[in-house]
Amino acid sequence: MTETTPVVLLALALLLTGPVPALLARASWPALAPRAALVLWQAVALAAVLSALGAGASAGTLVMTHPSPSSWLVVLHGVAFLLTLVVTARLLWSAHMLGTALRARRRRQRHVVDLVGRVDGRAPGALVVDVARPLAYCIPGVRSRVVVSAPALDALEADETAAVLAHERAHVRARHDLVLEGFGVLHDAFPRLVRSSVALESAAGLVEMLADDAARRRSGAVPLARALVRMAHAPVPAGALGSAAVTPAMRIRRLAASPSARGSHGVPAWLVAALAYAVAVALVAVPTVAVAVPWLTALSRALGP
Amino acid sequence: MEQLWAFGSPATVRQVHEALAASRDIAYTTVMTVLDRLARKGSVEQLRDGRAFRYRPAMSREELTAELMHEALDTVDGSDRTAALLRFVGSVSEDDARALREALEAVERSSS
Repeated sequence: MTETTPVVLLALALLLTGPVPALLARASWPALAPRAALVLWQAVALAAVLSALGAGASAGTLVMTHPSPSSWLVVLHGVAFLLTLVVTARLLWSAHMLGTALRARRRRQRHVVDLVGRVDGRAPGALVVDVARPLAYCIPGVRSRVVVSAPALDALEADETAAVLAHERAHVRARHDLVLEGFGVLHDAFPRLVRSSVALESAAGLVEMLADDAARRRSGAVPLARALVRMAHAPVPAGALGSAAVTPAMRIRRLAASPSARGSHGVPAWLVAALAYAVAVALVAVPTVAVAVPWLTALSRALGP
Repeated sequence: MEQLWAFGSPATVRQVHEALAASRDIAYTTVMTVLDRLARKGSVEQLRDGRAFRYRPAMSREELTAELMHEALDTVDGSDRTAALLRFVGSVSEDDARALREALEAVERSSS
C-alpha cells in the first residue's frame, strides 16, 4: 500500500473514460470481430468504474491507516472518497431511472402492439402493424415482440423477410437490449457536460453487426443485403435510433466480406478477436490485482492484530 | 380481443361474448376478465348502464397505430435515447442510394 495507489487508480479511471473510448470508437477492426469488440467495450467500462471506485476507497483507507496524516492528505483524500460516493450514487440512480423508463415504455409498446398487431403468414412469429412506412423492430424483454409493418412486408421478398426477422430475433434472443442498457446507465450517470456517447453508440453499432451475422448465418448474405437496401429507403428520421456509427451501407459492405475476412493489415479475424479478448481480460484483471490486492493486504494488516 | 372496434357503439360483455363465440369457443368470464383488464389499462372505457357495464374503445385502431408509429420512430434524445428500441435499420441520412447499390453488388458478386 503506497500513497500513489489512489492516484494511479484515478488516472486509470480518467484514461478509460476519455482517450481509450475515443480511440476504440475510431478503430476499424471491431467490424471484423464485433463480439470481441463488444466484450472489450464492456471491459473498458467495467475497469473504469472499478478504478474510480477503487481510487476513492483506497484514499479513504490510506487516511485511516496512516500513522500521522498531514492535513492536506486528509483533505485531498476526503475529496476522493466523496467522489466515490457520488459516482456510486449516480450510477445507482441512473440505473434505476433508465430501467424504469425503459420497462414502462416497452410495456406500453407491447400492449399497443398486441392490440393493433395482426398475424401474417408471410412473417411467422412477428406481429404486423398497418402503419404507412416500412418498418421492422423488436420490443425486447422477457415477453418480447418482433414487429413488422405491412409496407415492409410488401416491399420484401420472402427470403428477405426471413433475413429481417432473423436479425430482430437475434437481438431478442441475445438480449442485446441489456448490453445497451448497461452502456446507457453509464452514459446517463455522467454529468451532462462531460458525458460522451461514443461508448453507447459504438455498442449499438456492434449489436447491429452481431444481429446481421446471425441473420447471415440463417438466411445468407444476399437476402440480408437486399433487405437492408430496401429498408434503408424507408423514410426514418435521421438519428432516430440505432447508431450513427454504423450506416446501412457499412453493414452491407461488411456482408460482402467472407466471415473469415482479414483486416486492412492482413490480420485474420480470429486473431483480432483473440487479442481483443486478451486485452479485455487484462483490463479488468491487471488493475484489480496490481492495485487492489496491495491495498487489501494493507487494509487487513491495519485491521489485524 | 378488440372486437369492440367492430361495434359502433358501447357494447356489453354479453354482446362482445356473443360476437366472439360465433367464431370460436370462448367463455363468458374470459371476455369479462379481458375487458376488465383492458379497462384498467385505459384501453377501453367502462360506462355504467343500469346494472351492467358497457365498454367502448378509448382510442380508435388508427389512433393506437399512430401512437405506435410515433413511439417507434420517436426521435429521442438525452436520457431517453437509450429507451428506444432496436430497429432493423437506423439512420440513413449519410448513405446515398449509389453507395447502397454498390455495396449490394459487392455482396452479390462475392456470393455468386
